[in-house]
Amino acid sequence: MARFGQQPYAGLNCRVKVQIAPALALLSCLGSLSNGLCNGSPDGWVPARWDGGPLEVVRREKDKAVSENASIREAIARWYDPATLDLIEGTPINCLLVTFSAGANPTVETEHRRLVKDYARKARERGIAVMGIVYPGADPQVVATAADEAKLDGLVLDGGFPAGGGFAEKLGAALRSRNSPAVVIPIAREAASARTAKASLLAVEGVMPNASDLADRGIRAGPSSEPWIDSNIWLVRSFRLGTAWRPIWIDQQPHSSSQADYARCVADSAVAGGRWIVALNDDLRTKLFRKDPDALATWRSVGGYLKFAEDHAEWRGFAPYGNLGIILDTASQNPEHSNEYLNLVARRQVPYRVIERSQLSLVSLASFQAILAVDLAPPSEPEREMLQVFAQKGGLVMAGPSWGDPPRDNDYAEVPLGKGRVVVYKDNPPDPEVVAKDMLDLLEPEVMGLSAFNVPSVLTYASTSDSGKRALIQLVNYAMSPFNSKITVRFNGSFKTACLFTPENAPLNLEARAIANGRTEVAIPKLAVWGALLLE
Amino acid sequence: MKNAHTSLSRRNLLSLSGLAVGAWVIDRTGIAASTPSAPTAPVFVAKVASYDLDLVAQFEHMFDELGGIGHLVRGKTVAMKLNMTGASGRGRRVGISAGQTSWVHPNVVGALVAVFGKLGAKRIRLLESTTRRKQDAPLEDAMLQDGWDVNAIKNAAPRVELEDTNGLGQGRQYSILQVKTQRPYIYPAFGLNHSYEDCDFFVSVAKMKNHEELGVTLSMKNLFGITPELGYGGLDPVPHGASRWTRERVFHYGQVRPPAGMPQEIDFKSNRYEGWRMPRLLTDICGARPIDLAIIDGIETIIGGESTGIPGARPGKPSLLVVGRNCVCTDAVAMATMGYNPRAGRHEPPFRVNKDPHSHPSEQMIPPEESQQYADNTMLMGEAAGIGTGDLSRIDVRGVSIKDAVYDFEAHRKSQG
Repeated sequence: MARFGQQPYAGLNCRVKVQIAPALALLSCLGSLSNGLCNGSPDGWVPARWDGGPLEVVRREKDKAVSENASIREAIARWYDPATLDLIEGTPINCLLVTFSAGANPTVETEHRRLVKDYARKARERGIAVMGIVYPGADPQVVATAADEAKLDGLVLDGGFPAGGGFAEKLGAALRSRNSPAVVIPIAREAASARTAKASLLAVEGVMPNASDLADRGIRAGPSSEPWIDSNIWLVRSFRLGTAWRPIWIDQQPHSSSQADYARCVADSAVAGGRWIVALNDDLRTKLFRKDPDALATWRSVGGYLKFAEDHAEWRGFAPYGNLGIILDTASQNPEHSNEYLNLVARRQVPYRVIERSQLSLVSLASFQAILAVDLAPPSEPEREMLQVFAQKGGLVMAGPSWGDPPRDNDYAEVPLGKGRVVVYKDNPPDPEVVAKDMLDLLEPEVMGLSAFNVPSVLTYASTSDSGKRALIQLVNYAMSPFNSKITVRFNGSFKTACLFTPENAPLNLEARAIANGRTEVAIPKLAVWGALLLE
Repeated sequence: MKNAHTSLSRRNLLSLSGLAVGAWVIDRTGIAASTPSAPTAPVFVAKVASYDLDLVAQFEHMFDELGGIGHLVRGKTVAMKLNMTGASGRGRRVGISAGQTSWVHPNVVGALVAVFGKLGAKRIRLLESTTRRKQDAPLEDAMLQDGWDVNAIKNAAPRVELEDTNGLGQGRQYSILQVKTQRPYIYPAFGLNHSYEDCDFFVSVAKMKNHEELGVTLSMKNLFGITPELGYGGLDPVPHGASRWTRERVFHYGQVRPPAGMPQEIDFKSNRYEGWRMPRLLTDICGARPIDLAIIDGIETIIGGESTGIPGARPGKPSLLVVGRNCVCTDAVAMATMGYNPRAGRHEPPFRVNKDPHSHPSEQMIPPEESQQYADNTMLMGEAAGIGTGDLSRIDVRGVSIKDAVYDFEAHRKSQG
């Protein structure tokens, strides 16, 4: 502990933009993934976007997204040199997404697929699954035939496939007609409609995780404003509507080559149980192709973070924690707002669990202390009655103006109801930013359950197991630099031990201090990118 | 709405030199350019390169050089109003602590606690009004938000207490403190948390920084934070069209009267322009709760605004500590070390302010589309009220000379784009 007066005192120290193409309709037709795949179960696939080859160059030229830099073009064009498979050695990556079809000139496509077929064979020999990336413009019959011949484990659909085209269905049918076990996975461009898909593996477009200052974006912010954080934690979290875990792949391309940024990409997707589709930006790819030492160090760091995630796969089985329930209307006409509640409440470090509107019942409400019901616009009579009963028993309900009697001037009115209260917002829909911020005033620390201090550029995610006997609080630092000042975490419950797990260091035992109201406090001395605090 | 500058066209205003306009302001408000009778007191300026240096020894030296304060604090309750702007603790730049930008640094606070403890203070109380709406929220939690080692600060002296003064706190009623200057400008008195009455020696621990609406934040401006939002209607319905921020609607803009039971404005029909109101109001506050010791932390700061949320505001390292017994004198010297003329008029830097039209009511932008607005000089208001002189020629500056201490805030801001 620092002391004053005896020695010099040292040491006191976007919201996420998600946009699914009509291809989403396919999700429902995918069903369970085949068990007939030769390279492990898709549950265990750790994916990497491994695009390249001559077709990739052509595709990018068409999209005007190819670099003029000759080294970069060469690295892309020659990426399916078998030597690049050496990069995978020693990493948990076991599933490569390779460029496969983009509706380009048939000669180019045929030549490219011949290259991929050979590369895929070599990959399979190393126990690596290979999926082909298919872009709009491809012919489903041709793709299915080629994928089967190349013995691909699956196909990933990337891009906006024409509405009503039925591409995925045609592709699925063509594969089935050839008795191919390959799976088809569309990358959803928009999360809301993908959430209810029955597929056992989902891929969704995310954002590159980072933090920035609003003022640097020319946005005037209040004195209590925080850095803006782009994160996918809430997004991964939002796909877990049931109790069981299923793999969620986050697709986003980093626009940075920094080691910390790549580490953050892995962590940001992994803390809530997802997987980042590892992707290389052109700069890193080119340097890796040249075996640049710094690039190889960055790549090893990515491997280390991926290993940390896979070594702690048990954590995916922990149930999301939260005394706040957010009712999510998966059929909402306003999915962007629904997403924003999930995003920004998480941003305010308020742990929550998602209740799907169709699953709302007195039983499902029983384990909560507060409910955000603004997605019910308006609530049906049975829904209203359930929420009233919830409030009368002492719960807090936060509702939109359709609840009735909204205030004229204030953002919300607070109305006692039985032992509890109802907060009715004025605006329809209430501003997610305002709602998220109000949570900090409306919810007592014990209702929030988790209080994290000194986390302006850090996001937390809490989960529990063994009926709450074990709690896991994961933290991701979105700042460019390591966080070197003390983070204080308070969590409901009495815990005897606290252990901090990080990818960089051996587990660190920390003091778990019992504090008032049956809570436990732990101080985390510093955080590089990813820390997981296990309380037992 | 009547405004101080409505009798001049904008063109006329812009064509006048800052000093001329300043003089005009002074004429209009009946304030002399210099008030020879205003008291003066020495001010000590120190260059301090880092928060990791021995700040305890630094403050002891500064206090000794000012004549000593031991006799004032021995056996007394010392209250320190800390500048923790928007003290939810969340106003931060990526990768930098609030103590390095808009808040006073915890090492400064810890060192001061240690020094007051060594000098024999019976009780040391750390105060700030957070923007939180909970009456009983511990101030400690706000400090933890910036990673402060609160236990170390508490253990730096025998009896250290913390209180969030945004509401009643540990008190049962608000203390009504009368403005004791020669002539209150806006308010005759203020209703404050008991802590501001229940102390023997009051210290304003401020950050050296700019302010979007007032030009600078120094020891006098720091006292705006002693007004309790919860006492001034923080939980009341917001009248239609009024600011949702209590201090804005009651004090900055004067859109609503304080709640019953709180002292009311002397003239609710007076000028509502914040650049006119706030310097006078701050003077009134300093008249109600006089500052016994002004401490200005300029070791590291934010330049170009009072918080990290102001576009264009950037971190800077002036490496300065400024300490004095008289708040006007201390602020005047601090302004000079920031490269400003402490007697500047309302259209000179830093009082020629650049306000975001989207975050201010239209009536506060005169003319409406003009982002360049003005503020009156709080030090001159304090001087005219008889609190202290802002005339450098009358202030005994000790330690590093102003010339050697200057860290040009305007130049830094411009160089940072």
